[in-house]
Amino acid sequence: MDFALLEKGIWLGCAGIGFAVLFNVPRRTLGIIYIIAALGGLLKFYLISLESGLVFAALCGSSLIGFLSVLAAHYRKAPPMTFALPALIPMIPGFFAYKAMVGVMKLTAEQDPEVYTKLFFETVKNGLSACFIILALAAGVAIPLLITRKETVKRIKTDIVLEKQLENLEEEN
Amino acid sequence: MEIVAKPNKYELGEMLLEIGSLLIVSGANTERVKVTISRIASAFCCDSDLMITNHALMITLTYKDHIKTFTSVKWVPNMHLNFNLISDISTMSWKIVEEKWSVERINKEMKLLDRKPLYPRFAVLFLVALAGASFCRLFGGGLIEMILCFSGSFVGLFVRQETMKLKFNFYLCIFFAALTSSFLVGLYSFWNPEGEFIHALSTSVLFLIPGVPMINSFSDLIDGNILNGTTRGVNVLVIAFAIALGLMVSLLIFNLH
Repeated sequence: MDFALLEKGIWLGCAGIGFAVLFNVPRRTLGIIYIIAALGGLLKFYLISLESGLVFAALCGSSLIGFLSVLAAHYRKAPPMTFALPALIPMIPGFFAYKAMVGVMKLTAEQDPEVYTKLFFETVKNGLSACFIILALAAGVAIPLLITRKETVKRIKTDIVLEKQLENLEEEN
Repeated sequence: MEIVAKPNKYELGEMLLEIGSLLIVSGANTERVKVTISRIASAFCCDSDLMITNHALMITLTYKDHIKTFTSVKWVPNMHLNFNLISDISTMSWKIVEEKWSVERINKEMKLLDRKPLYPRFAVLFLVALAGASFCRLFGGGLIEMILCFSGSFVGLFVRQETMKLKFNFYLCIFFAALTSSFLVGLYSFWNPEGEFIHALSTSVLFLIPGVPMINSFSDLIDGNILNGTTRGVNVLVIAFAIALGLMVSLLIFNLH
């Protein structure tokens, strides 16, 4: 069990790095992205193994990614989005979306009402899961970024600097 | 203290538009563009009012004495993701405020900014293909499926890059890439009908997922930029449709279900 989780962590990190390179992130952030992607995904898989629901697990995992990327942004001097986006993408529920799409294709050709009902049920279930997981991912990562706006911290500092300069100007006059 | 001379309004406005359009092209969300530009404008004692849409950027600069000085619109080209550029511009904007750069200095620095992709093409292809294989493993695929997914992603991304170079329609490029990736996996499973390749098939197109527009759309909506958020959301849907279409065509070719 533990080893299986660890292996998943390794692959999650690899997937994160792949997308990071596709998005042209700065080189100094690659290592951090690997760690954030692995941790966020592992939290998601751990919660799923506790049977706490896919959507909730996705929400928790993406929030963790959001908070970690805010921390990393201060540490590595890059916007938090740089860390959060590549780390988030390995969690996207591609398999559900695929199944929903294939289900719709089958539905168009299905004639038997009994099979149709069963198929319809599965397709809607998969499609809704994919939709809500994606919503949870987007919300989970956006909210930490909104709560801890990096600009606010820095703006206070520069305001003080500006005020001092204004005072100096007044003194000179 | 050094007193900064008022810069030529045309130079300042053009520079701000250039920075803004670079940010939008590189994949920044609306709020970041707004914040960065107003930060730089405030370093020159200017107020900036912006109108940001997905393909155009409009700016009006006003000096503190409320005399309108400059209004202009700039067309923004299609998205080409470059987070390195966003990060560099963000750092630069702080330096501009704290060190009181002149417009000439900023223009000089802008030329030095790295606009080219940061990583060699082969490295991008290899790492994205590895990401595809990792996806496959995460969804429960075996070794053969991982190798299939790796090659599918590799060729698919290659096709997307090449078709982009040939200046095809953006969504058509995505359709071609999705078709190539899934066609490759489908071909293998057609020749080996006893195997189960559903994971490889479903994850070989995942590298095309429009993750950045998706998250940007959501954060724009939360920030209250409803129009931009909706536009980006529709963009995501069209891209997803293109991916689904490519996948569907190869499913129909090989009659896989």
